Amino acid sequence: MRNTIEVRGLRKRYGRTVAVDDLSFRVEPGQVTGFIGPNGAGKSTTMRVILDLDAPNEGTALVGGRRYRTLRTPLREVGALLDAGAIHPGRRARDHLLWLAYSNSLPRRRVDEVLDLVGLASVARRRAGKYSLGMRQRLGIAAALLGDPPILMFDEPVNGLDPEGVVWIRGLLRGLAGEGRAVLVSSHLMSELEDTADHLVVVGRGRLIADTTVSDLLASASDGRILVRTAQPADATTLLTNAGGTVHASDGTLAVTGLPADGVITLLTRHGVPVSEVAQARASLEQAYLALTRHAVEFGAALEPNVGHSGASTVEEA
Amino acid sequence: MRQLLRAELAKLASLRGTVWCLSLGFILMVLLSAWVVSSSKFYGDLPKPADTFSFVHRPMSGDGSVVARVTTQDDSHPWAKAGVIVKESLSSGSRYAALMLTPGHGVRLEADFTTDIAGSAGGAPRWLRLTRSGGSITGYESTDGTTWSQVGTVTLDALPWTVEVGLFVSSPLDFEYVQGGGAQGIGIIPTTGRAVFDHVNVEPTDSSTGWTYLKVVPTPTPGQPQMRPGPGGMTEVDGSFTVTGEGDIAWYGIPSFFRPDARDIVSDSLQGVHIGLLAMIVLGVLAAAAEYKTGMIRATLAAYPRRGPVLAAKALVVAGVAFVVGLPASTAAFLVAQPILRDRGVRPPAYPYRSLIEVDVLRAVVGTAAALALLAVFALAIGMLLRRSSRALPLVIAVVMVPQIVGPLLSLDADKWLTRLTPTAGLAIQETTERFDTAIDPWAGLGVLAAYTALALTIALWSLRHRDA
Repeated sequence: MRNTIEVRGLRKRYGRTVAVDDLSFRVEPGQVTGFIGPNGAGKSTTMRVILDLDAPNEGTALVGGRRYRTLRTPLREVGALLDAGAIHPGRRARDHLLWLAYSNSLPRRRVDEVLDLVGLASVARRRAGKYSLGMRQRLGIAAALLGDPPILMFDEPVNGLDPEGVVWIRGLLRGLAGEGRAVLVSSHLMSELEDTADHLVVVGRGRLIADTTVSDLLASASDGRILVRTAQPADATTLLTNAGGTVHASDGTLAVTGLPADGVITLLTRHGVPVSEVAQARASLEQAYLALTRHAVEFGAALEPNVGHSGASTVEEA
Repeated sequence: MRQLLRAELAKLASLRGTVWCLSLGFILMVLLSAWVVSSSKFYGDLPKPADTFSFVHRPMSGDGSVVARVTTQDDSHPWAKAGVIVKESLSSGSRYAALMLTPGHGVRLEADFTTDIAGSAGGAPRWLRLTRSGGSITGYESTDGTTWSQVGTVTLDALPWTVEVGLFVSSPLDFEYVQGGGAQGIGIIPTTGRAVFDHVNVEPTDSSTGWTYLKVVPTPTPGQPQMRPGPGGMTEVDGSFTVTGEGDIAWYGIPSFFRPDARDIVSDSLQGVHIGLLAMIVLGVLAAAAEYKTGMIRATLAAYPRRGPVLAAKALVVAGVAFVVGLPASTAAFLVAQPILRDRGVRPPAYPYRSLIEVDVLRAVVGTAAALALLAVFALAIGMLLRRSSRALPLVIAVVMVPQIVGPLLSLDADKWLTRLTPTAGLAIQETTERFDTAIDPWAGLGVLAAYTALALTIALWSLRHRDA
């Protein structure tokens, strides 16, 4: 109960736009939960509702079993990075963290600790307006970590980070989960979370599309194809088709379904067809995700050709 | 709550804009106050004593007394005067001592345009007696002519052997204030007093002269407009004198003396508040709107999700900062203005020197800071409500400034009501003198501003609780 985020039956409308529609999921401690969906899918809205910034029309969102608004020192319970740009440009980075620390009775040394942790110690006295997007992300992450909370939420934390920063944040997220914290990370790109997330909550158009583990999602997207590269594609196709397989050819590569991999090798070798490569086709998480969300994206574009995406992204930023 | 106050204070203090806004506000507030008192032509020259009245007189040599009963007195003005007088000579401005009845202020013993001693609160019919003994003149009053009580004694040094004594009647001017189209005017309305005297007696009796009527008026000053001699006269029937007259015998020190255009030099010294309040409005609006503009409000509410304390902390910090900057600013403005006024000849008796330790001055100076603090919180609440400085700033400035710009274009009554009903009423706390254009009591005015602030805060809290951040 303590280190969880629990969203139940959440529904949120902005005017006539339904941003979140009957969304339920749980974020468990000790793992990184990826919150994936195209732009405008309702990820940021959900996070705002979790923080009690926006009031849902229906449903509840609980952190550690409680409503966020009832927390006395919320930064010690939940750390959140919502919008890295939401810093007054005239305020020094360190001052930004200082007032946050004061508000939750956190010691001042904690400010310097998190600045060190995110690698901003040397530029802590610079005004936030002079920061690059990547530095602001790091500052936002520092703010989230300030209260050493057991629950963490990051909305698109990879945005604007350089490759080194991307590697760093992956390590950070894994490390936080490894310490037993519940970590919710949103992204609209599956590739960003591929190697990081243990659990995935996939949303599109405000609805839950999948609530699954990474390995289950991969398995469901795999269809047992075997890729064969050969110098004699015509002969191979005849042999494999006769053996009961289905073959699709493209660019000198044959995609075979209906036959096991070792069967394919034995068959072709026995008939003297030269094989340069045989591989199990592995659907990437990206492909699985695209397949899942394609409907949601197309649905949106078809229904609201004029406002579709831009309208949805306005909601994201609102 | 304490950590929240600390956080909000740290937020405000960590922005250069806050420091700039407050420093600039402070400096301009003092400078504008100094400029107003050094450039305005409000104060005029020191007026001459008023000495216009109807005089029924006869000479009296050496020690003696004059006695009369005032049987009736018309209520032409609270400060109409009817009584007995001992005067150095018949010329206007000469020295005197007089004992009189007034319709509004009882029995008074007055002398030399500066001394005023209150007797009983009663009116006509009443016996009055002035007794001269050398330079001392003592006034007595009585309801029956036999039992006398002393009102007081005044000393007129080097009074001539022979003086003029007798009955006098005066009734001062009423004033009518008109305003409109940005201009103010003061209309003068003469009032005519009338009183009936009997048992008129002078001792020692000198039968060689009788009673003479004279309308005492000031000698015309060349180039100055001369007031038309108003009505006045005397009739005597069987020792009963009916005297009518207008004017007054008074100057600074005599409460009936009244300058309709007298300034309130304390509030004049604090006029820089108009710049100061702009700075505080900017402070208040930006403390709220900047959070919405940058998205900081979400960090604020995430760090402290309970809305009531968030708004309370913001209001307290903004109020505290505005007060802490406003108090030295208004104190400095007052202290800078006083020597400037002195150098310009704005001094006693027309304008007594004012000091910070006087209660009403303290109220004005500290109250100015309090009004600035309330206004800053009002601006904060509107900023929280409208969320954008581009909307909140013009609105708050309009609410505060429009009544001050539009007011003088309206009639005096409409102007007063406009002041009473808008947050501008709070500036009444600066006033220490009741004037014709005084709209509202100082504390009540501050109360109006406080009520607006409380209302705005309440609506802002409702909005903060029920609207998405």
